[in-house]
Amino acid sequence: MAGFLGRTGYFVHETWINIRRNLTLTVAAILTVAVGVMLVGLGLMARYASTNALGRWQGGVQFEIFLEPNIAGGQIDALGQELRNHPDIERIQYITKDQAFELLEEMLVDEPELLAEVSIESLPSSYRIVPRFAEGELIESLAAQFRQRPGVYSVETGRQQVDAIREWFNSFRWIVLLMSIVLAAASTLLIFNMIRVAMFARRREIEVMKLVGATNSFIRLPFILEGMLHGLAGGIVGAVAAGVLRNHVEELFGRSEILAFFRSFTVTSSQFNTAIIATVIMGAVVGALGSAFAAGRFLDV
Amino acid sequence: MIRLDNVTKIYKGETRAVDGVSLDIKKGEFVFLVGESGSGKSTMLRLLTAEEPATTGQVHVAGKDLSRISSGRVPYLRRNIGSVFQDFKLLPQKTVYENVAFALQVIGRPKNIVTTQVPAILDLVGLAHKQKSFPDELSGGEQQRVSIARAFVNRPLILLADEPTGNLDPNTAQEIMRLLDRINGTGTTVVMATHDQAIVDQMRRRVVALHAGQVVRDEQHGVYE
Repeated sequence: MAGFLGRTGYFVHETWINIRRNLTLTVAAILTVAVGVMLVGLGLMARYASTNALGRWQGGVQFEIFLEPNIAGGQIDALGQELRNHPDIERIQYITKDQAFELLEEMLVDEPELLAEVSIESLPSSYRIVPRFAEGELIESLAAQFRQRPGVYSVETGRQQVDAIREWFNSFRWIVLLMSIVLAAASTLLIFNMIRVAMFARRREIEVMKLVGATNSFIRLPFILEGMLHGLAGGIVGAVAAGVLRNHVEELFGRSEILAFFRSFTVTSSQFNTAIIATVIMGAVVGALGSAFAAGRFLDV
Repeated sequence: MIRLDNVTKIYKGETRAVDGVSLDIKKGEFVFLVGESGSGKSTMLRLLTAEEPATTGQVHVAGKDLSRISSGRVPYLRRNIGSVFQDFKLLPQKTVYENVAFALQVIGRPKNIVTTQVPAILDLVGLAHKQKSFPDELSGGEQQRVSIARAFVNRPLILLADEPTGNLDPNTAQEIMRLLDRINGTGTTVVMATHDQAIVDQMRRRVVALHAGQVVRDEQHGVYE
């Protein structure tokens, strides 16, 4: 036990000396790791946020069956009856031509000349439908069932829009992932290099250690520990930065009208914690990897 | 304690640094390795500490066949071997005490062993009063005594010395030889590579002379030439 404590003291002491000796390099490595893992953390949060937002939209998604303008009243009622009795449909709402015109009036309130071109008669009446389950597949199959019915002009689902946004987010995630990988690789290399410099600075000591029979793991451990500490420090800085940025961004979305679209992009606190913890761990892993490579490469018997 | 069976060491496919050497060194012997520069003395010592593998032949040290020893076991082999060099290899930023203690700390010896062994060995080499000095505050002879203390503090079975008096004046060299003789007297096998004719002639110990990597002479109570 005394031996173990003595060794722990030795490792802590040696690691501290190494860190103090290379302060500028240390800071550079920590900052690179911080930026890299911050991106990883933000990417993770963006992933959660987009999944949450997409889920919310899909949940609220309705679809709308637009009817031919000259459809007969009996056809309208028959269709309504069928929709109401459909097992997969929760509820429906009939939008008359007049109601459609009112909605259009609201939308075109700033463009009266455009509204003047539109006659109530030319507008289609429609059924707004809330399906029992908010699943894209179900909505699509329902839409397909009614698209070919006589008197149906068109069926609009929100799925296309949601799919487009999902696609956009997927490419965004890939870009973030790619950038994180590049930065993680850069951080690993930087730590690798830093540990190499540290080992070079202490080559006499390492030579003596080998001479008197210190094991490789004993010689390597302080260096690996050093790299891991740097990574951990970078991870913590990166996690704090990611947390601060997340708050700013959510505040911005809340304030700005242009970015109002993004308001549904929020992460739950447990998702936030997961992302932050992952960020810190990522930093430590990057540090340990870089230094383990360096120690393995430059410290042979 | 040390046995070489027809050992050859070829560097980079060309230089035959050691060429078909067979040698048997018993426990407690004191052996001088002599020969001009490049005759293979240093390579012989490096073969014994497993810093270099033999190209052919077998090297046995402290009961271990070095051609079969795994790299993970090499450090444990070296704990049985103390090494002393011409340039001392002391750590300049550590005190005399710390330099010697370092050798015990890095092989995981507990603190109470360090605090009893280090003063004892510094006493043995006559440097107890300088334990707080740094190497550059010491004379060459004193530095070499520190390096011997470091090599011997773990009580190795074998002490290898590569030109330990090479940088020292004759009087200081004499002191170092008295110290090595005392260490040999405790039962430690000592192998010393040297150019120092006066010392070899005076000590009258076993002399193994090398030339172009081959043993050309092996005498029990030999002289330099």
